[in-house]
Amino acid sequence: MESIFITGAGVVSAIGIGKSETLASLRKEESGIRQMKYLPSIHQDLPVGEVQLSNEEMMQMLGVSHNPFLTRTALMGRLALREALEQAGLAGDKLNEVPFISATTVGGMDRRELFYAKEKECDSVHAHALISTHNCADCTEMIADYFGTFASLSTVSTACSSATNALITGANMLHCGLAEMVVVGGAECLTMFHLNGFNTLMILDHQPCRPFDRDRAGLNLGEGAGYLILETAASVKKRGVQPLCQLSGYGNACDAFHQTASSPEGEGAFLAMQEALALAGLQPSDIQYINAHGTGTPNNDESESYAIRRVFGDQLPSISSTKSFTGHTTSASGSIEAVFCILAIQNQFLPVNINWQTPMENGIIPVMDPHPQTEIKHVLSNAFGFGGNDSSLILSKIDA
Amino acid sequence: MHDMKRQQVFIQAAEQISIQQPLSEQWMEDPIRNQDLLVKAINPSFRDYMSPGEVRRMGNLMKRALVTALKVLEETGIEHPDAIITGTSIGSLDYTEKFLEAMVENGEEALSPTYFMQSTHNTVGATLGIYTKTHGYNTTYSHGDLSFDLTLLDAWMQMQLGKIRTALVGGQDEMSELYFSLLQKAGYVGLEGMDPCGEVAMSMMLNCAENPENLCELAGINVCQLSSVDQLKDILNKMLDEAGMTMDDISAVMTGVSGNPANDQTYREIIESFFQNMPLLHYKHLFGENYTVSALGVYAAAHCLKKGVVPSFLYDDQTQARCDQPKTILLLNHMKGKEFSLILLKKI
Repeated sequence: MESIFITGAGVVSAIGIGKSETLASLRKEESGIRQMKYLPSIHQDLPVGEVQLSNEEMMQMLGVSHNPFLTRTALMGRLALREALEQAGLAGDKLNEVPFISATTVGGMDRRELFYAKEKECDSVHAHALISTHNCADCTEMIADYFGTFASLSTVSTACSSATNALITGANMLHCGLAEMVVVGGAECLTMFHLNGFNTLMILDHQPCRPFDRDRAGLNLGEGAGYLILETAASVKKRGVQPLCQLSGYGNACDAFHQTASSPEGEGAFLAMQEALALAGLQPSDIQYINAHGTGTPNNDESESYAIRRVFGDQLPSISSTKSFTGHTTSASGSIEAVFCILAIQNQFLPVNINWQTPMENGIIPVMDPHPQTEIKHVLSNAFGFGGNDSSLILSKIDA
Repeated sequence: MHDMKRQQVFIQAAEQISIQQPLSEQWMEDPIRNQDLLVKAINPSFRDYMSPGEVRRMGNLMKRALVTALKVLEETGIEHPDAIITGTSIGSLDYTEKFLEAMVENGEEALSPTYFMQSTHNTVGATLGIYTKTHGYNTTYSHGDLSFDLTLLDAWMQMQLGKIRTALVGGQDEMSELYFSLLQKAGYVGLEGMDPCGEVAMSMMLNCAENPENLCELAGINVCQLSSVDQLKDILNKMLDEAGMTMDDISAVMTGVSGNPANDQTYREIIESFFQNMPLLHYKHLFGENYTVSALGVYAAAHCLKKGVVPSFLYDDQTQARCDQPKTILLLNHMKGKEFSLILLKKI
């Protein structure tokens, strides 16, 4: 099968706008989890990973006029996608042969919840805008239309693994020969809808989250966007571009256990990691770093630890969760964390698992030292969603 | 396609719950004609398929999806398909709105997790996995009117790549009064003279294996975004070429005309440009308008090919052309006149 390379990446999250701010925060071990500033929720006691820009500020950065129906998801998405396209040298007129696969779940719920009480008496203009903000497809279109006409648009929505699954669909398109380049990733803003939803499930930590710690007490929600340009080897050569890394493997499996909990033995996670390794033609010992899903909930971290041990045995690579930096960016987490993995490979450092203190029983010990013991050649990244939609991907150094 | 041998893909079985008689092809003989602007799906007796507890616990969308899926699994004898791929535009709308309503009316306190847990768009796909203990590939597309079409594309790609041999794909959308009234104001459904707004649950099994029981072959699928419909010509020709066919091999074109001028205009333009004098079929007058109703178009066309007949009421009166023995049906679907899908079904 032909090799697939990543030739552009863009990211927006609580730890920065763009790759260079993001890299600086990861290296300085500065978390973006703070007190709520933009989300008008009464749950001010819940720390969140908010992108430190108002919608108006993002509109200014994008040079668009004020529009109250432009969703926060779409605004963050545009910022991240702009960075990715620029890096890959893709301008508007070249997009008509490039499919765009974007991921979101809450989409524009931030707008719908704001106007919901007035929906019954709204006029046709507002009705149009409200529908747009509820549909996942409209977020994708809102992001895409800013740049031009892509070959096709699609929206993947598998809760917290959405962006990883968007990447998998895009990679399959390349392997099938449907395109030579695809743009993949996801965007998701914080909403009162899912903040309250997670809160009713009692899995939100009132302190900054502590993935893989014995005393972890849940996750913090975050927001952001991450986009990647995937490109075939032939196209990389033809365009003469410099790839950032290789996408060497990916896997998708279903835990088939419970709507909101992971199985104790982490079957879905185990299968997804195994499949990614098999596709990459790699052994577990070839992986130097795992960017875990690591939400900080008691259930996820226990199940994921178990699944990782099933795949890697006692010879565990360096492992960390970066959700203690960004919060759980839900549908966007897969592509945001893929960008973190690219930065780790390019800069040969390990993003550490900040806030970790005490080992959990039978849990993995996350990495706290950013200096790798050996060269980082292959990195595995996990993303697991509600309902057991579990996916993994493997990114590799170019000359690995 | 790179030097890959083309893998044939078949539709092995397909079942629906919609505004026609559920879990049956009675619509081919004796279709229900709905006059109302909003019509809810006709539910079968769910208790025949699941426990009373499940009937109570699950929302309508989930129950419909589960029953159509279970019926397809039973008919095909496939316990664990290699993939479960689901399409829904507005997902568990009912549960989403219940949670929103509670949050807006009662504030952000004393909310129950029940509605939230079932509100994500992947609830159906994931629950099908959980219910059938199927650990294979599982994903969900939520892309408006093209949500279902993308499930076909995904399964088709993975079959070409040899990753899977069987896939349970489906499309589901429900409709609430509130959302209907928004869609009506926005001019998507509920206009005078338009086909009714319906509800959709359709599951089908795709299989690489040849089998005389198969409904038809999925001979091609393309999803694209265009700045003008002229560009469709090249895409169609390429698709036909890859399937070893030409325009002359198409028995009929099935479109999503609905009586809504904003929607129909795009189809008329395409028909005028490429398919003049071709037999034209439609299905939304029977199954209603809703985002994933293209799933019912594919379902209907597949059953026509299997039975070798096109019921007279499926013809769109725009042309007089007829096809007595359909061999190939091309389905057209679009979203806002910008994004399109082409689906080619062939008699086995």
